[in-house]
Amino acid sequence: MAAGFKTVEPLEYYRRFLKENCRPDGRELGEFRTTTVNIGSIGTADGSSLVKLGNTTVICGIKVEFGAPPTDAPDKGYVVPNVDLSPLCSWRFRSGPPGEEAQVASQFIADVIENSQVVQKEDLCISPGKLAWVLYCDLICLNHDGNILDACTFALLAALKNVQLPEVTINEETALAEVNLKKKSYLNIRTHPVATSFAVFDDTLLIVDPTEEEENLATGTLTVVMDEEGKLCCLHKPGGSGLTGAKLQDCMSRAVTRHKEVKKLMDEVFKSMKPK
Amino acid sequence: MAGLELLSDQGYRVDGRRAGELRKIQARMGVFAQADGSAYIEQGNTKALAVVYGPHEIRGSRARALPDRALVNCQYSSATFSTGERKRRPHGDRKSCEMGLQLRQTFEAAVLTQLHPRSQIDIYVQVLQADGGTYAACVNAATLAVLDAGIPMRDFVCACSAGFVDGTALADLSHVEEAAGGPQLALALLPSSGQIALLEMDARLHEDQLEQVLETAAQAARDVHTLLDRVVRQHVQEASILLGD
Repeated sequence: MAAGFKTVEPLEYYRRFLKENCRPDGRELGEFRTTTVNIGSIGTADGSSLVKLGNTTVICGIKVEFGAPPTDAPDKGYVVPNVDLSPLCSWRFRSGPPGEEAQVASQFIADVIENSQVVQKEDLCISPGKLAWVLYCDLICLNHDGNILDACTFALLAALKNVQLPEVTINEETALAEVNLKKKSYLNIRTHPVATSFAVFDDTLLIVDPTEEEENLATGTLTVVMDEEGKLCCLHKPGGSGLTGAKLQDCMSRAVTRHKEVKKLMDEVFKSMKPK
Repeated sequence: MAGLELLSDQGYRVDGRRAGELRKIQARMGVFAQADGSAYIEQGNTKALAVVYGPHEIRGSRARALPDRALVNCQYSSATFSTGERKRRPHGDRKSCEMGLQLRQTFEAAVLTQLHPRSQIDIYVQVLQADGGTYAACVNAATLAVLDAGIPMRDFVCACSAGFVDGTALADLSHVEEAAGGPQLALALLPSSGQIALLEMDARLHEDQLEQVLETAAQAARDVHTLLDRVVRQHVQEASILLGD
């Protein structure tokens, strides 16, 4: 009976739960789904991670390559993120060139990298004006059950912490780069940006970490990216219903708490991996 | 490539296996709740994921609907970080299209498409790490995914690659062995009837030696079948426990 009601009137069905301050999957309005992270499983990638936020699964693989630094910033390397939402992860996507959602997600990740300065671009430079590291970060969504942006940000951060750059010396005589694959060092991760997404229901109610059904029923979404010191890296609110300043403040305080949770999880995972 | 011995005098390969030995295979079904069927397989270091949606109504042009059977649509995608050198285009390039076509032809032979006329079955395969034998891993993963989706099939489709070095046929080639440039055979078999769904060979091989290589590949495919069968039975057993049988 409940299943029938849910199909016919999904919004009413949800409202019944929201009135009791909970959601159909048993979570509270401010509760995240179980987050799990797995690091370094892809041997061919220079850094990799797999993040599961409930059912949403995102895998991030980073490959490092040589590249010429851009002419307007000769002492900087660069990071190229790409989010791939294929028909594999959900019904809604078609095969072919990246759709709107994938492009928005890619741009969002690029903005987060840029704003948070998670990797200092100067660290990626090998020889100013001639050679620099280029990090190609490819995020593949394997299962889309809402809240892609949070999962992607977390996967990217975990993968970046896992990347090892080999030592490169420029041979003075031949002016060629010599790569020493035996000596590798981890990237210097300056900050840890963590994203928290919210969905707005009926223009008033805010719920954290929406599933795909909730995203479809929502009247608006909001994503806040927070740093360690409570610094705001990115605020993504693509239209939708309006929010008051007070609600926004609530969101930001929730984002700060979420940052602590995620940081704790990541520290645990990396600590358990250290003896290598 | 001089200096790299693919088969030592004692009969050991680069990774320590014997000539007819398969790599370690680990597989799981039902990894994603959202899709109708899904499976993940690891053959040595080759990691492949398959997801099946269907049977459902034809998407796009209705004109493509076949009046007497289902349309099988396969897409192959290889992650950019799956190979040693970064791959520029994950899907849409020639090799991916060819793989997709080969997978489609393989599964059209095995899936009982007559039971679902005017509908479409989508099989999406994603290779996360490629260390040789990607076609075989994709077929094996897709078989498990189709079974997980409950789509009736004539038989399992088990695939394995084989090669030929120094007068001996090798089963389940790794990337190093494939890159050496010798003859390679990819075989997809329906084990119970012994029928071949797909056979593809690269490089030159003398017709006298074909028999030997084919037999090695077929035996390896049958070994894969034993393993996949066990995985399916275990999965069904776990599922029935959860349903409270």
